[in-house]
Amino acid sequence: MNKFFYPRLALVNLKKNGNTYIPYILTCIGSIIAFYTMVSIHSNKGLDQMPGSINLKTILFLGIIVIGIFAVIFLFYTNSFLIKRRKKELGLYSILGLEKKHIARVLFYETVFVTVISLSLGLIGGILIGKLLFLLLLNIVHFKSPLSFHIDYWGLLITTGVFLVIFGLTLLTNFLQVKLSNPIDLLKGGQHGEKEPKSSWIVTVIGLVSLGAGYGIALSVKTPLEALMLFFVAVVFVIIGTYALFISGSITLLKQLKKNKKFYYQSRNFISVSGMIYRMKQNAVGLANICILSTMVLVTLSTTVSLYVGQEGMRRDFYPMDVSIIGEAGNTDFDEVKALLESEKEKLMVRSSDEISFDLARFRAFQEGSHFLKDMVDDESTDARYYERISNITLIPLDDYNRLTGGNKSLAENEMLIFSVGDNYGQATIVFGDQQYLITEQLEAIPMDFKKTQDMGQTYYLIVKDDAVMEAVYQTMKNDDDPQTTLHALMFNLDGDEDTLNTFSANLRTAVTQSNPDINIQNLYEALTELYFFFGGFLFLGVFLGSLFMMATVLIIYFKQISEGYEDSERFEIMEKVGMDKTEVKKTIRKQILMVFFLPLAGAIVHVAFAFPVITKMLAAFRLTNVTLIFLCTLAGVVVYALVYTGVYLLTARSYYKMIH
Amino acid sequence: MRLLEVKNLKKIYTTRFGGNQVQALSNVSFSVEQGEYVAIMGESGSGKTTLLNILASLDKPTSGEVFLDGKNIVTIKDSEISAFRRDNLGFVFQDFNLLDTFSIQDNIFLPLVLAQKNYQEMNSRLGPLAKRLNIEEILKKFPYEVSGGQKQRAAVARALITQPKLVLADEPTGALDSKAAMNLLKIFSAINELGQTILIVTHSVAAASHANRVLFIKDGEIYNQIYRGSMSNDDMYQKISYTLSVLASGGEDCE
Ligand SMILES: Nc1ncnc2c1ncn2[C@@H]1O[C@H](COP(=O)(O)OP(=O)(O)OP(=O)(O)O)[C@@H](O)[C@H]1O
Ligand SMILES: [Mg+2]
Repeated sequence: MNKFFYPRLALVNLKKNGNTYIPYILTCIGSIIAFYTMVSIHSNKGLDQMPGSINLKTILFLGIIVIGIFAVIFLFYTNSFLIKRRKKELGLYSILGLEKKHIARVLFYETVFVTVISLSLGLIGGILIGKLLFLLLLNIVHFKSPLSFHIDYWGLLITTGVFLVIFGLTLLTNFLQVKLSNPIDLLKGGQHGEKEPKSSWIVTVIGLVSLGAGYGIALSVKTPLEALMLFFVAVVFVIIGTYALFISGSITLLKQLKKNKKFYYQSRNFISVSGMIYRMKQNAVGLANICILSTMVLVTLSTTVSLYVGQEGMRRDFYPMDVSIIGEAGNTDFDEVKALLESEKEKLMVRSSDEISFDLARFRAFQEGSHFLKDMVDDESTDARYYERISNITLIPLDDYNRLTGGNKSLAENEMLIFSVGDNYGQATIVFGDQQYLITEQLEAIPMDFKKTQDMGQTYYLIVKDDAVMEAVYQTMKNDDDPQTTLHALMFNLDGDEDTLNTFSANLRTAVTQSNPDINIQNLYEALTELYFFFGGFLFLGVFLGSLFMMATVLIIYFKQISEGYEDSERFEIMEKVGMDKTEVKKTIRKQILMVFFLPLAGAIVHVAFAFPVITKMLAAFRLTNVTLIFLCTLAGVVVYALVYTGVYLLTARSYYKMIH
Repeated sequence: MRLLEVKNLKKIYTTRFGGNQVQALSNVSFSVEQGEYVAIMGESGSGKTTLLNILASLDKPTSGEVFLDGKNIVTIKDSEISAFRRDNLGFVFQDFNLLDTFSIQDNIFLPLVLAQKNYQEMNSRLGPLAKRLNIEEILKKFPYEVSGGQKQRAAVARALITQPKLVLADEPTGALDSKAAMNLLKIFSAINELGQTILIVTHSVAAASHANRVLFIKDGEIYNQIYRGSMSNDDMYQKISYTLSVLASGGEDCE
């Protein structure tokens, strides 16, 4: 035998099994591109210059880990699938006189070819696409200054290393497969006797109950905090339910259909029902996987896209005014601060508007009905609602309020007005320490904040008679680490283009904090950069992982369908022989693939529909409360996903039909 | 009454690239009477399966005609061919061709379900048939759970349940041991005695010796035929063996 015999045989094998190996190699290339891209973006020096890049880098690092794990699992899965399908071929070699070590040598060369092709194309693709994705990322996070994106040799090395290990491991498992089997086994390969699947009512009932429980939790969640805490419980229930129902529920249902003789012995149901029973038996787990994977893709996409698209609206909730400067009334020279502000504004020709200033006191208290306590009551601390009773309270003297609103309300010593950010306060009195105050009015608006959906804990603004009352309440309620005295606030909005305002914000901070190190400046434009990085990073990762999972889903389906094509072609040939019409055969095939294909997608869409209330509540924790926007983003995600899915279906169906005929 | 009439059948296979041509049947004519039990024998590659596939309307001849009960099946429209096959023909294959997704009973029902018969009727047809073929116990089982002989009897039941005009069998005993084969041949004889017309292709002299008549094919032509007349199975056996040996030696006409 000449020395090129094995490599040539390996090459011939790959070509012959093209309709499974080409998708496999594409998967490898895709994973390599994804991995390299993440690694190279993560290690890009330029990103370090940005404030907020720490968050982004953490997110990207998370991405590297996820993609790495994903690549291992997924390449193993597809490889084991391929080798199983080829057992017959390998068995034939062995019967024709190739020894196991020769087969191993063929397998070795095959892996070498796959590795070389995948790595070279993957890395080249990574270098090209990585650059593109990097630009995309910069765009998403609103990063202005141009950053260069060099070829990351270190990244190339790491990627090559990681994937060499993965390919090596797959080769090892293939060796093991060949070593552990005798030729007869190999020949029989995939076709061990098909047993009538067992279905169990118990498992079905468990599935129904836990799916119901998951959905029930999802629907009954009331607050963002509950949503965050219960989401994963619901997810676990839904996953259990999905597997149980795909594995057992589907078969129980089909068997029930089969028992109905009138229904079952109709030519259009007869073949589908019995065919589906076997389909489900072989594929239940795979289909459940696809369903859950799809749900993950959809939830990831819809939440990240919603967050990103919705951040415009969210900012305002975080920052009612563009800039707020708050300092201790006693030891901050606000005249100096104002002077600094004016000079900075002049330097950059920035204008400000809606300027307000007022005295205030801020503290946290634990709410029990109308009583507000300094210390938390430490019982039932596991209850989600316990944390919701921690409230943020701001006191404002009446004359400041009247000045800002242009009103002339009056209050007695023991009276207060209340504005609640979330649900209305709803009590007639309010008690601090041992002092009770009457609420004379529940305000609907206040100049320094908005009415909005509550997140964690309550936020109340109380208008009190004068500075003296404010001081008295504050001294009763303040904690040790709160400021000694009450505060003074200066708030205003800014006009100008974003770049100028960014510079202005940075300058202002430097100027003001130089003389007043303890002063608290909150600035929308500074926060924006971080928000962009945060949500932009999320979006990037979400879309990236979403696409990757989608690729995985698509491939699982494709491989499944192809492997069934071979078995099914025999089956349909027999049916044609006993007198089934060709067109009828085609119709039946189409119906079966449609069911297998779209069952998981339908399941995923139902899951997402039930998850929607939880998603909106969770996003509310990020201050995203625009339900319409979340709905539209989710809908868009579902539509795009369904379209891609359908595209894959059409492609797969085509090669499947080819196989049948 | 003449049930099947085959006239000047010719079949040339053209390989995919149009290069080689194989003449599987050159000129075959014969006829089968209602109620006859005919065996077709011949060396491997002589064209038996090709002939049977054409009779089964699974394949079209290059030229020639086939009449079943007066209807030319060569010119039947594609859209009607499945229904025609379902209603008029029953098949038994060497490798059983049972579907592993169906129980034995459902396999037998398959042609009736395709013909949209109702369940009552299917069931009433199955009862006596299953009894005669001795497969009552295995009706609920699946193909992988029963023996080869049982599978073949199930396949026979599937062929007979449509009450076809003609049963075609291609080496039905090929995958069976001698005992199971004997059993199956007895069944064929029995159903033939009830009036069922049967045409089988076989390499087995024992199988052929059960038939009323044996046709020999050589190089795509009918070479010879033996009528049973009043011969016993044993006499038939002798005569078939003799003919085959002459056939194999490429010898002269032996009638
Ligand atoms: N689909 C086909 N394409 C090309 N040639 C074919 C095809 N089917 C059969 N042949 C050729 O036609 C001839 C007759 O084949 P056929 O299968 O009818 O033989 P047979 O008598 O059934 O043989 P055996 O007893 O081995 O089953 C053979 O030479 C065979 O190679
Ligand atoms: Mg043959």
